[in-house]
Amino acid sequence: MQRHIVFCTVFFLGMEFMRPNGIAQPTGAMGGPYGLERSLQAFNPAISVIVDLFYRQDDSEEGIAHVLEGLSGFGHIHGHAHHDHAHGAEKGFNLRHVEIQLSADVDPYFKGSAIVGVDTERAELEVAEIETSHLPWGFKLKGGKFYSDFGYLNAQHSHQWDFIDRPLIFQLVLGEHGLNDKGLQLSWLAPAPFYLLSGVEVFQGNNETAFAYHGEDPLPIYDGPRLGVGWLKFGPDLPGAHGVQIGFSAGVGRHQEAHDGDADGDADHWLDGTHAFWGADAVYKFNAPKPYGQGDITLQAEYLFRRKDLELIDHTLRPELVGNSLVKKQDGYYIQAVYGVLPRWRIGTRFEQVGLKNQDNRPNGEKVRMGASSRAALMLDFTPSEFSRIRLQANQGAYKTEEGKQDVTEVGVQWMVSLGAHGAHKF
Amino acid sequence: MNIPMALRLSAFVVFCLNLGARAEPLRIVTTTSDLADIAKRIAGEHGVVQFVCNGNEDPHFLTARPSYTLMARKADLWIRIGMELEVGWEPVILDGARNPRIHVGQPGHLDASLRVHKLDVPHGPISRAMGDIHPSGNPHYWLDPWNVRVVAETIAERLAALRPSNEADFRRNLDCFKRELDERMFGPALVADLGGDVLWDALHKETLDTAIHSSGKSLGGWMAAMASVRGRGLVTYHKNWEYFARRFGLVVMAELEPKPGIPPTAAHLATVAERMKQEGVSFILQDPFYSRKAADRLAGQTGARVLVAASSVGGSPAVGSVFQVFEELVALFTRKN
Repeated sequence: MQRHIVFCTVFFLGMEFMRPNGIAQPTGAMGGPYGLERSLQAFNPAISVIVDLFYRQDDSEEGIAHVLEGLSGFGHIHGHAHHDHAHGAEKGFNLRHVEIQLSADVDPYFKGSAIVGVDTERAELEVAEIETSHLPWGFKLKGGKFYSDFGYLNAQHSHQWDFIDRPLIFQLVLGEHGLNDKGLQLSWLAPAPFYLLSGVEVFQGNNETAFAYHGEDPLPIYDGPRLGVGWLKFGPDLPGAHGVQIGFSAGVGRHQEAHDGDADGDADHWLDGTHAFWGADAVYKFNAPKPYGQGDITLQAEYLFRRKDLELIDHTLRPELVGNSLVKKQDGYYIQAVYGVLPRWRIGTRFEQVGLKNQDNRPNGEKVRMGASSRAALMLDFTPSEFSRIRLQANQGAYKTEEGKQDVTEVGVQWMVSLGAHGAHKF
Repeated sequence: MNIPMALRLSAFVVFCLNLGARAEPLRIVTTTSDLADIAKRIAGEHGVVQFVCNGNEDPHFLTARPSYTLMARKADLWIRIGMELEVGWEPVILDGARNPRIHVGQPGHLDASLRVHKLDVPHGPISRAMGDIHPSGNPHYWLDPWNVRVVAETIAERLAALRPSNEADFRRNLDCFKRELDERMFGPALVADLGGDVLWDALHKETLDTAIHSSGKSLGGWMAAMASVRGRGLVTYHKNWEYFARRFGLVVMAELEPKPGIPPTAAHLATVAERMKQEGVSFILQDPFYSRKAADRLAGQTGARVLVAASSVGGSPAVGSVFQVFEELVALFTRKN
């Protein structure tokens, strides 16, 4: 209850401080033969649509999604907010959901935007956010359903990635959608001689693979919000064409799991507890004084560690274990470089590992240490214009699965375009 | 409270009052180095000016960086070129800076294109199939000295609105700036006799010759120098020299880019070479940040002269002000070889 009061206070204090300047300003020439139409359309939200088609193949028997589900230490869990196998990339053609984005200033106080992800089976509200535009002292409040700003890549949409796929550690810990949830975010840009942005977020705690709130009997029911996240981003004031940003983040939330140990289709044991993670990220960008992106360099790396502390609430097959705990400690990182080799052509490479720390302390008293998996990627992409991109990518992975060691080679071709409003992307 | 203490205290109060009387300079951030140069001249000692995109960077392909956010955070005035030139990065900087003073529509946000003379404003339906097209027109308007003059006036007006106590200084700086521009454009003798306003008015009404004749003074400056190449054909790399060309009577026949923002292709260059031979194009003009390869090849085929000039302040080491942008261009075009 106390938490709710704090949120409301923050929210209304914020509103109190918003003082838009009332002086009327000319807002640019509406001239030209289409002036009238344009002036009527001026209040329409900016609309953009992203179409993202990719084709992929791999040499595993049941597909890469199956291999990842059986990855040692990151194994698949049943009983989540989302359905199983919903987004695993299939062999052959894949249409990543078409993103329809609408955004506009609401009034002098707020900005709003919504992104609907539509695929061939269903539509899904990906983002619906409201944010303040007039809080003083460098504060900003955001609410709705949005991507957490923890780390670097999480808040980026799939079309902004430099590779077709999400790095393994994020896919395994947070699922295909990353950390995207309903909640509130308060962030603050510090009045320092360098760039220092910090933020706290509270979320309802629904995620594809983590913080999942199942709530089914015999798991206890907890009210939201069930997840808190904090992060810090630091950027020195570099001269010229160089940009650097370093970030730290951490989060902790309630976590529940239901497992089907004997694979008969029904859950037979249930776990309840907390899920914590922390990570660090660094990005360096060089904007070469050449046109069409030639000579530009991006270096990027992120590390993430997660720890689950769970208690076995009930076990229909082995009731003697009830009350014992399960502790899971896993981590992973990726490091990547992208270089503008020719006008409009970029090459990139990425190396990643998961499970450098990979330990389960199981309810039966076993301490299990599992090995690491790794994946290397090579990427070549061509950007005909700012609104389209074609990409070729090859992955070579060495995965440590419950069925043993498995090497998988993947190849993918991606073709994506953006229609409508010209998007502006963050650093 | 003893006497010395009271004295010290009152001295401190007087000191503080003095500080207050000397207002802090306005913190001005512009999107480009050209706007920064103009703003510096107009604001004078009342402003500290920073800019985002330097002349050796392509404003179409800039990545928003944390240091830009730092500049914008404390700004009292943000000035942009407008006409969608900065659409890929301005919103990110303004959004990230959390500075309500410089949001679009606020007095601290100025679109310098408000009153400039615009070219290539599309008529009829437009499509991205036409390349990186700007619905409001060609945004490279600072390459027309008239527009530089208009932008200086627009900036002076906004500075006076933000800091009325310094209005007289802004006006004086503006007059000084316009006088220098006009003298460089038409020559000091003519400006002294007729005044800049009359000359510009005559130029727009195409009655400049009559005005010069009635004055008895002779035309000088850029106008006189560029008269020798008036009517000559020109091919440019990107469609960003239209304003300069039209002001000085050059005719842009084609661009090396097949469509704005798309690098030259062999097929397109062959067509351009053909046209250049047929129509006798004398110059190929491009910015230093583009590769010279295509231009040199065309020059070899057609005998045209390749001119590499900065279209913005800082685009080459010699170009440190908006006036020098034009000085360099005029020198290149009129160089005898």
